Amino acid sequence: MMFLSQLKGELRKLFARKRTYIGYVVFLVFEALLLTLWVQVGRDQFEALAKRNFVPVELLSSSLTATYWIMGFSMFLLGSIYFALVAGDIVAKETEDGNMRMVLARPVSRLRILVLKYFAVMIYTVSFVIFVGVTGYSMSLLAMGSEGGLFIWNPEMYILAIYPDRDEAFWRLFIGACFMGLSMCVVSSLGFFFSCLKIKPAAASVMALSVFFIDFVLQNIPFLVNYKDVFITFRMANWVYVLQENIPWDRIVESYAILMGLNISLFIFGWMAFQSRDFKT
Amino acid sequence: MLSVRNLTKKFAGKDALKGISFEVSRGEIYGLLGHNGAGKSTTLGIILSMVAAGSGEVLIDGISVQKDPRQALRKVGSIFESPAFYDYMSGWENLKVLVGLSGTFDGEKAREVVERVGLSERIGSPVSAYSHGMRQRLALAQALLPEPEILLLDEPTDGLDPEGIKWFRDFVLGLREERGMTVLFNSHLLSEVEQMCDRVSIIRAGELVYEGAVNDLRDDRPALKITADPPEALREVAERFRGEQMPGERWVFPEETVIPEVVSALVEAGVALSELTPMRRSLEDVYLEHSQLK
Repeated sequence: MMFLSQLKGELRKLFARKRTYIGYVVFLVFEALLLTLWVQVGRDQFEALAKRNFVPVELLSSSLTATYWIMGFSMFLLGSIYFALVAGDIVAKETEDGNMRMVLARPVSRLRILVLKYFAVMIYTVSFVIFVGVTGYSMSLLAMGSEGGLFIWNPEMYILAIYPDRDEAFWRLFIGACFMGLSMCVVSSLGFFFSCLKIKPAAASVMALSVFFIDFVLQNIPFLVNYKDVFITFRMANWVYVLQENIPWDRIVESYAILMGLNISLFIFGWMAFQSRDFKT
Repeated sequence: MLSVRNLTKKFAGKDALKGISFEVSRGEIYGLLGHNGAGKSTTLGIILSMVAAGSGEVLIDGISVQKDPRQALRKVGSIFESPAFYDYMSGWENLKVLVGLSGTFDGEKAREVVERVGLSERIGSPVSAYSHGMRQRLALAQALLPEPEILLLDEPTDGLDPEGIKWFRDFVLGLREERGMTVLFNSHLLSEVEQMCDRVSIIRAGELVYEGAVNDLRDDRPALKITADPPEALREVAERFRGEQMPGERWVFPEETVIPEVVSALVEAGVALSELTPMRRSLEDVYLEHSQLK
């Protein structure tokens, strides 16, 4: 009970800060821009593409397909920036501003403080992904209407799937969004880990993004294609398998077990660094 | 109530504390004096478990801070110089978040404390709009919630105007009077220590160089600032009166000394006096002597 009330306090701190909302605003603008371009410029091209490939045009240019595009193609690159920013701040900013001394003067263990902060960051991460999904879908509905199914084409992950049934498409996409939220927790864990070190908050965010993008670049280098499995970003992209016609659950479970192990390791290393630190003026 | 035993600490291989020990009794106001970098804040940091001691131990009401920090800190409220609150939140929300870390937040109790520190009207405003004095009042409120038995004050009056300093001093003295609150007061404002503390210790370069009652520290022996020529003749006369030379051309004489007799003796010895000013040896003088800054 006390943990929940303390977590509420941590979330109150997180969501009372204006910078927490930068990502939300940017994504809303981005979604509006993408949908406008989709409707104004992309629709004709989709129709032509549909005709060439004998695919019903309402599959290619539908609100669900647009939502998949918004989430699938923007979250990794754009979303990661905000997760790294918020997670990089969570400990380091309080230390820099001096709030941490006020917190540490209380009868609460450092482990408890970090667990509260980690939970708050994870809640932010998952809720952010869901927010993007909900707003993306809502705006797509306004722009394109509710008709049409879902068309998935992801050459990097070797996935081509068509869901003409709107209900099945919706649920597939919803479950996919949940897994994507779990995937993005890795970026937040990276930011959290660096935030626990004795570095500035901006440095923590930059370090987290650096690790993430280096991994992403390496994963996409052609001669490393046979080693894709060892890269974090490849494992993170496994959420998309939920959209494959026959879901490879064994692959998904394996990937998320690895990602969870990584998250736990990053938390433990961050805690060890935080625990050994002296806090002075 | 508070027992600090043989604390040592090194930062980057350099000794920051070299075996600091002192005891603070229940209901006592104890002052820690020392110039910047002397080791006061490190000592306070170790007491609050924010800094790991190299060796030694701190006991709060018999509970070891090193072995069971959570239990030990339950009895402690603390205030730092320039308290850092979450500026984007109101004073009330800050209290909720910080006090919530100690256990359950009791709104009724919090309202009482807020009223007591005189912040009722502004408690709903964002802390970013608070003056330094209001921040210090909020710091006091959070330190008093939930009810601590000992207050650790780290240079709490720094930056306050004279009115604010007096208010703060009276408030802390009132807490001791009403609740028998124990206070550890870390400061370099000697007048504050002199007016508030029962006992004081002086830390210099990580070492405790003096410990005793404030009244013992204050020296009521007659003192003179004497600028004279030749200095050898001055010394000879002063030493005849068992005078003790202090830094800054000052001489301190035994209590029974009759100063006019000293002056006459100087004149008779042919000493050319260019200045002779009676002085009271203040706590500051004693502090500076012990901290060897003069």
